[in-house]
Amino acid sequence: MFLGTLIYGFINGVILALVAMGFNLTFGISGVANFSYGAIYIFAGFLTWTIFHTLALPYILACVLSIICAALLGALMYRFVLLRLRGMVVSEVIATFAIGLAILEAFRYMGFIGFKYTLPVFWDGSVDLWGVYVDYQRLAIVGIGLLLTVFLYFFIHHTRIGLAFRGIAQDEQTALSLGIHSDWIATLSVAFGAGLSAIAAVAILPLGTISVGGGYDVLVNALAVCIVGGLGSAIGVVLASFLIGYAQMITSTYLGASWVMIVSLVAILIILVIKPSGLFGKQKELEERI
Amino acid sequence: MINCILHTKTRAGAQERGAIRVSLRRVGRVGIKFREFNLLAFKEGFVMKGRATRLILVIALGFLALLWGPLGFAADKIVLGVPTSLTFLEGEESLKAVQLAVSEINAKGGVKVGDGMLQIQVETIDIRDAAPGVPVPEALLGLEKIILEKKVNAIVVGPFRSEALMAGMDIIAKYKVPMLGTIAMSPASQKKLMEAPDKYKYIFRVCLNAKYFVGYLIGTMKYLNEQFGFNKVFIMNQDVAWARATADIMIKNFFAKAGWEVIGQETYPTGSSDFSAGLMKAKTKGAQVILPVFDMPQSGILVKQWNGMRAPALIAGFISPLAGPGAWQTFEGKIGGAMNAIFELGNIPASKYPPATKFYEAYEKKYGKPIESGHGPAPAYESVYLLAAAIERAGSLDADKIVDELKKSDQQGVMGQIKFDESNQVIYGNDPQKEAIGCVYQWTNDGKRVIVFPSSVAEASIELPDFVKSAK
Repeated sequence: MFLGTLIYGFINGVILALVAMGFNLTFGISGVANFSYGAIYIFAGFLTWTIFHTLALPYILACVLSIICAALLGALMYRFVLLRLRGMVVSEVIATFAIGLAILEAFRYMGFIGFKYTLPVFWDGSVDLWGVYVDYQRLAIVGIGLLLTVFLYFFIHHTRIGLAFRGIAQDEQTALSLGIHSDWIATLSVAFGAGLSAIAAVAILPLGTISVGGGYDVLVNALAVCIVGGLGSAIGVVLASFLIGYAQMITSTYLGASWVMIVSLVAILIILVIKPSGLFGKQKELEERI
Repeated sequence: MINCILHTKTRAGAQERGAIRVSLRRVGRVGIKFREFNLLAFKEGFVMKGRATRLILVIALGFLALLWGPLGFAADKIVLGVPTSLTFLEGEESLKAVQLAVSEINAKGGVKVGDGMLQIQVETIDIRDAAPGVPVPEALLGLEKIILEKKVNAIVVGPFRSEALMAGMDIIAKYKVPMLGTIAMSPASQKKLMEAPDKYKYIFRVCLNAKYFVGYLIGTMKYLNEQFGFNKVFIMNQDVAWARATADIMIKNFFAKAGWEVIGQETYPTGSSDFSAGLMKAKTKGAQVILPVFDMPQSGILVKQWNGMRAPALIAGFISPLAGPGAWQTFEGKIGGAMNAIFELGNIPASKYPPATKFYEAYEKKYGKPIESGHGPAPAYESVYLLAAAIERAGSLDADKIVDELKKSDQQGVMGQIKFDESNQVIYGNDPQKEAIGCVYQWTNDGKRVIVFPSSVAEASIELPDFVKSAK
């Protein structure tokens, strides 16, 4: 059971990292709060299902289209809503949360409820790892997660757009004076984040069913990982993902499944009390700087 | 002086006479106006008085209309309320089953009430009690609303969750509306009824309860023990009243007494989507049978993970998403070998009991797709016929008379022979000729559902998946 906990805890950590990556990109790196992140995740899932089942297009095409549509949704959201609230963090949070709520409840209203909303796995079957069976889909998630982490690191450290993302998070006025069009970069940031959310959705949702309530869980988990890891730190997000992932798996195995849901929330509480900027957070609170 | 001048034929006299004429005309106009005013005032007064009269008349009529129902004046239709979680599979399909029954009865002329025939009209409200996070008081607002606004004569289906049913019993008792529940399963409602039978006599349950469901599970476990020598079980249940009660009853009333070893139990909050830890425990501790008890949509993930992790234990219990024929495609054929309970016959066709198959096929014909839920539609359909028969015997829409006749129900239906016990619960057993029945079926490896228990309707014997070994 210990080996199983180790392996599935690792997979759980990668899943959390994949889920939190897009959120970290927009909120942590670009400073743009997007609390409709979970809703975009579910939107991508339902859109993929609809394209695949209703339009009968090939599955890979359905995935690509839904990723593009999710990115467009993020861009439109910024252009028509967030642009007017730029700099007012609380207003950004409220507006994006409201949009997320509207998206999720619209799906509920349209009848997207039930167990029939599932996505097919990329590869069928499972492999025996030292006596622990792991299905190929979970291995694919690990692969996608690792690839995206590496890609994101190089993107934000070694590309013009990635550096621009970081620039407007550090100091928007200075970034403007250096010729970085902050609104355009912020639009790209939100679009990228939404796209990453969609990639996470098409990778993770085949493990189970697509449910409206899952959108809220994704937001809580993404928030927990970013807060624990520290806003603005990709390494912090990865570390926090594994910390929380293993905490959830150990809790489920040794305490009970009923306690799993509070692990993320307890992690947020603990880190806010001990180190509010997070484990590797760069935006230190006043109390921490003194 | 004026008189003297007035009557002279002098210029002054003429002027005086002219002035008087003008004055008279003015007086006359005023008089006319005064007259008109009086007439107008009279008219207005009449109108005013008329408006007041009409207003009083309308209020009186309205008051009479409010009393219409309680005074028992003849209704022109029977209003049937369906307050439940309509966006959940069991609620949605139960409503469709009700509408099927209503359309059949109305097509034959309706229900005979006294000397006349009345059509049935269905009114619905989504009380969302099954949705996670919806508080019970909020759900009960919907129950009270449909009673007060739609003036329902009876309720069928009822609350989804037993928690809502328990709290809703007082509302039903307050408004004295007969209710035939077909989803909520906790026996606690029957216990509450027996403590105050006159107060709660309006509440009936047509679907099976957790106690009868446990009976079918016990029968299945006994069969597994006899056939394969299984005696180690791992229980995985949802954290809701009916599922917890089912697990507790199984542990205390069967496993402990029959020599089975309960090697573990996991309780999952509604909405949980990862069962890997529980499956790992079941595998590590050597479980031979996994007993799942779930009604949430996410519970289908359990079977996918069971198949993926190759947990060497037979799944035999109740997982709501696995109940219908669509599950095979939804779960990509990874459910072969899983055993699942159908709470009421009729929700699955039975080759050995034609009325169940007839209902199943009628539903599929009307709606273009088969019943996917294993719980709810058949008793919902049955409830309408039970109610119609009770109303005809009572000859009235009076709630107390309907209730008295419902208690005497004894008719052959799609689930078997339908009779109520003293706690207003339909009696379930193993022979559809004597009682209502549920059943347990197994998914074959080619996507078919075959009934394996009870023997009165069994179509095949149990087959083990290739990664599960017999203990004999």
